[in-house]
Amino acid sequence: MATIELKNINHFYGKNHVLKNLDLVIEAGSFVTLLGPSGCGKSTLLRVLSGLETISDGQIILGGQDITHKDPKDRDIGMIFQQYSLFPNMTVLENIRYGLKLKKMKPEIIDEKARNAIQMVELTGKEHHYPAQLSGGQQQRVAIARSIVTKPKVLLLDEPLSAIDAKLRRSLQARIREIHNEMKITSVFVTHDQNEAMIMSDVIHLFNNGKIEQSGKPFDIYTAPSTYFAAEFMGNYNIIPGQVFSTISGEDYPDGQKIAIRPETVEISSEPHAFRNEAYQFTGIIKEHTLRGNILSYTIKANGLTLKADVLFRSFKLFDDHTTVNLLIEKRNCLKI
Amino acid sequence: MTEKPNSKPIILLICFYLILPILMTFIYSICMEWRDILPHGLTFRYYIEIFTDMEFLIAIVRTIIISVVPVVICTVTVLLAMYVILLYLPGLDKYMQILTMIPYSIQGVILSIGVLSLYANAPMPLSNRFVMLTGTYCIIILPYIYRGIKNCMTTINAKNLIESAQILGASKAYAFFSIIIPNILSGIKVSLMLSMAIIFGDFVVVNIIGGNYYQTVQIYLYRALFRSGQLSSAIIVVLFLITMALSAGVYAYKKPHHDQEEI
Repeated sequence: MATIELKNINHFYGKNHVLKNLDLVIEAGSFVTLLGPSGCGKSTLLRVLSGLETISDGQIILGGQDITHKDPKDRDIGMIFQQYSLFPNMTVLENIRYGLKLKKMKPEIIDEKARNAIQMVELTGKEHHYPAQLSGGQQQRVAIARSIVTKPKVLLLDEPLSAIDAKLRRSLQARIREIHNEMKITSVFVTHDQNEAMIMSDVIHLFNNGKIEQSGKPFDIYTAPSTYFAAEFMGNYNIIPGQVFSTISGEDYPDGQKIAIRPETVEISSEPHAFRNEAYQFTGIIKEHTLRGNILSYTIKANGLTLKADVLFRSFKLFDDHTTVNLLIEKRNCLKI
Repeated sequence: MTEKPNSKPIILLICFYLILPILMTFIYSICMEWRDILPHGLTFRYYIEIFTDMEFLIAIVRTIIISVVPVVICTVTVLLAMYVILLYLPGLDKYMQILTMIPYSIQGVILSIGVLSLYANAPMPLSNRFVMLTGTYCIIILPYIYRGIKNCMTTINAKNLIESAQILGASKAYAFFSIIIPNILSGIKVSLMLSMAIIFGDFVVVNIIGGNYYQTVQIYLYRALFRSGQLSSAIIVVLFLITMALSAGVYAYKKPHHDQEEI
């Protein structure tokens, strides 16, 4: 495991400035996620780290060594791709052995390490299968085994689970995290799925337009987004212009000020709430409701603004559409951004 | 539950339709004469005649050589070009595509007359008929070789495979030859077959450029047409068997993973 330092990284695709003066430190042994929408530069940063892209400007330090101009093969970095990229002409075992052979290890050691890696990703019995004979989840597990078997200093994961169905995805998320905890390889995970990022990461770097918008632990980023983009991307926040929100709060806000409120912090009741000094209380009308598994989402009109409110779906006692309800939002949950 | 339709009779009918011309040619080549509805007499004298004719055997060897050499040269050249384009100069791919389209628009007659008038008086080895034929066939088969290889590379997502091999510690060249080549071998084989079949059956180019200097079996066949119908039928049957043997030879090498069932 090794610390990664990125210093003033700039990268262009033609005239398109993809990475902009990026500075980033990734602690040794941590599991870091680069989260952001498509085209924000997160995958490019991963390719820059791996050496598959040559940066226009900047410096990459890995474990104290400058690797900026090193070939991918000399960086000691493993990478798992979205499309698995397994070698179709090789069996599972041959795929996993490939990297070890290039390290010129003894055949018996190669065999032992490969079989351990196969056990680790629970593919025992599939050693002699070709990639086309495996399911998507199994192929991705082979890709994981192939990347970790050489014990690289850093493991890069470029949206490895995006082509896998939801159930399998959850089990692979857990498996990847377990493997990381076992091996302690510094891992950089790229995803556009905020739930996945929050489940898996020690630290999230929220990317937008070639820059890091916000960095922090999943809890901090989710509960305290510092910008409009972070609030919009992370939590499905209600983002209300200050002047509109002043009709509820009675307070004045400077021009451009926005208030971000997480939907699950909006309390709904058919009876008036007991008065609380540290909360805003008002009434609204339910416009519509949507059941999302264990969450019931309401869209509510109140004082000229539209609010989303999420409640845990614990009983069948629903608020019908067009019902007037009492709403309560604690002041501390109204974030100024 | 719907019943699975029985496709065997249709396949047999198509096979019969395809084999019928060669079957009739064979029957004609072994009959003494065929003036009524049914042929009369049975003889292998035409086969004996061609196989005892040294000129025919040399023509076959010449045809095989001229069918193999340009295919090998063109395949190696295209593979090297694709290697450079894939790994170092991807921008050149569009020019490669244009380049490989040009031979489609040039007819064999125009190409061979052009080559002949340009190189006939050139210094050796350019004016050598075998060299001229090889060069001309390389141009003719270029689109087939390129397309076959290019399609295979696109299918296997060659760039991604090379990148993943690089990450595992391989150099670009090692990745290309250890991963890409084995995976596009099936495409290369199809291109080879197609190109060899085109050259093997060519008469126009070889007649104009090679003529008496490099007599292939097609020219031998053309001359035999004026001598006897049965003789030329026997030659056609032999050519068919050689082509089949060459095809079988190319397909004989089959990797086990080609038999895998996808899930």
